[in-house]
Amino acid sequence: MALDTKAIGLLILGLIIGAAIGYGATAFTGGGGATTPSGGTETAGPQEQQTVTYKIGFTLPLSGQLSSIGKLWEKVAYMAVDDLNKMMASYHLPYRFEAVVLDDGTTEEKALQNVQTFAQQGIKVVIGPAASSQVKAVKSFADSNHIVIISPSSTAPTLAIPNDYIFRNTGSDALQAKALAALVNHEGIKKVVVFYRDDEYGTAFADFFKKEFEALGGQAILLSYASNLADFASEVASLSSKVQSEGAEAVVLISFDTDGANILSHAKDDPVLSKVRWFSGEGIHGASELLQPSLAEWLDSINFLGTRPVFISNPLYEEFKKKFENLTGTDPPVFSEKLYDAVFLAGWAIVRAGTYDGEAIKNALPEVAKHYYGASGWCILDKNGDRAFQDYSIWTIKQVGGEYKYVDIGTYSGGTLTFTESP
Amino acid sequence: MVGVSEVLNTVQMGLAYMVIALPLTLSYRVTQVINFVHIIFITLGAYTVALLGLIGLTNVWIALGIAFLLGGALAVLDNVAVFEPLWRRGSDVLIIMVASLGLWIFYKYLIYAVLDKLFIILRTNTLSVLVRTEGFPSVTLGAVTIDGYLIDTVVTSVVVTLALYLILMKTRIGKAIRAIADNQTLAEISGIPRGRVLNFMWFLAGGTAAVGGVLWALFQTTVTPEIGDQIILQVFSIAVIGGLYSLTKTALGAFIVSGTENIVIAVLHDTFGLPLSFRPFLVFSVLLIVILVWPPLGAGGGLPYRFRIRPRARR
Repeated sequence: MALDTKAIGLLILGLIIGAAIGYGATAFTGGGGATTPSGGTETAGPQEQQTVTYKIGFTLPLSGQLSSIGKLWEKVAYMAVDDLNKMMASYHLPYRFEAVVLDDGTTEEKALQNVQTFAQQGIKVVIGPAASSQVKAVKSFADSNHIVIISPSSTAPTLAIPNDYIFRNTGSDALQAKALAALVNHEGIKKVVVFYRDDEYGTAFADFFKKEFEALGGQAILLSYASNLADFASEVASLSSKVQSEGAEAVVLISFDTDGANILSHAKDDPVLSKVRWFSGEGIHGASELLQPSLAEWLDSINFLGTRPVFISNPLYEEFKKKFENLTGTDPPVFSEKLYDAVFLAGWAIVRAGTYDGEAIKNALPEVAKHYYGASGWCILDKNGDRAFQDYSIWTIKQVGGEYKYVDIGTYSGGTLTFTESP
Repeated sequence: MVGVSEVLNTVQMGLAYMVIALPLTLSYRVTQVINFVHIIFITLGAYTVALLGLIGLTNVWIALGIAFLLGGALAVLDNVAVFEPLWRRGSDVLIIMVASLGLWIFYKYLIYAVLDKLFIILRTNTLSVLVRTEGFPSVTLGAVTIDGYLIDTVVTSVVVTLALYLILMKTRIGKAIRAIADNQTLAEISGIPRGRVLNFMWFLAGGTAAVGGVLWALFQTTVTPEIGDQIILQVFSIAVIGGLYSLTKTALGAFIVSGTENIVIAVLHDTFGLPLSFRPFLVFSVLLIVILVWPPLGAGGGLPYRFRIRPRARR
């Protein structure tokens, strides 16, 4: 009897482990390619040409707070490396690239650990991490070990530092805060409560927003929330009393996607918060929760507006978006076009450097970026290694053909707010 | 000012915490193993209701039933495949606890892998899902609206707690569970089939925790694979306030923690301007105060004598 139970137990365990291994195997053959022992490996190509394979490290939030977008980013990363290799082949260049993807659990410690692991493996170019707080955590290691870091999504203005190994393929929030302040001001709102994550991203965004909004004659009251919680119902309750006691006309939400969706789903049922206007930055854009009818209906009714960094009317973005939708069935999440271009920048910078050396790649990258136009637009960098030109679009949630969708209804470019549709 | 929403949140959160923490205390009391797979039961329950909603099955009672069965089955599987074989080989409870830690991490990444595949099949983001389910309708009393999910939570937690009480106190198998919790060797000598009783207890504990996971999902409304991990510290705090022994003190602990997280923080924020981000800090301060002032593990600094010795038949 005991033996039977044991045998059954072992059988079930074996099945689970087998399934996991099987899954892992398909995931790897699906896009990763075989691993090679060192940073650059030479193999004989089909036309007797020696091709060199370089590894590009990715530290992505595959688990933890940003996992809902991190998992999609992983698909973007493999797609980009695949496309980059096709491009190299079409140019008859003997270089190939291989993605090495590690999960950083959306934490600072694991991001640093991953960059250290990459360093041990001889990898000199790392794409990621996602959050500004994580970029800050890996910065000193990357600088002292000459590892080039290209973050597709870190926007905190506090990380705009010249001559370091940190590059950011997106505009700093100093600019986005200005766009959002202009938008809120344009809507005739004079007093807002800024409800923000108490991390590097949220704090910097909120501070810059306050500065910009008050320069326009408005008043912004700051209220932060701990970003690592499961649920924000009690924070939303406090926000509600703050909005009521201060007589604020609107809430500006600076969040990521899952925390933002949770906050909005509680605010929808709050007697005070469900009546005021809501604005946000890019962090929540693309979250599928916001499109579910119960939430979307309310967001539509209060005319929810947000800003997000995009390159306006870019045919390459449309091409990228279509390709991604065919692959996954969902819209590309926030910053995925920047991640896609970051892979190309990394690849071309390695080719231009002519050697797989951190310092040479760091020096080559700004030159490559200057001449690169991709799904995210013109990638030219400023002196801090951040995206120099960044437009912002004004987005909202609207019913299109019976279905709720994220819709861009205007732009903020060169200090001017333009609406293409009435908000 | 403490408003109605703080009070309603305290109730809903407290009830969900209670349903999650009770089985943790129960399984610890019977086996003396702190089971980390408990986190997975919560996630499993939450995802059951979320995924059913995603495919259009929006009846909360069906979701609760399926979650109970899945959670219970997983707990029995763990016991049969991992805990029992270890126990039979004479492993210490510490080793079994470490094994449960391993299982937790194993299951967590298995969940990620499965959801990733479901993502492709359902062609929608399964890693962050808004719960869509229906139970009782919302009720409006004057200026206050009581959310339907809160009513579902109250009904479910009353039924679950009552059922747990009746099973443990009024049935033969409940008596057997309590006998094993008191003294395992004596229970076995008295002819209680230890293996079968433990399997039943695990089924009950896993199922109840998964039901708790559904209730938590109704409160949180956004479900991610981290949902269990994010609340487990609170759940362990509650179980520790209950001394990992008393089921009534565990229930009390649930409301102490949820009250702190909703009412105390609101009062401190309004009166002293304490930043809202101090919420996790406050929970653990309260835990510390409670266990220092009112030691749950017995004034002597540990479990009562009969729980401290672990008479174990080694084969």
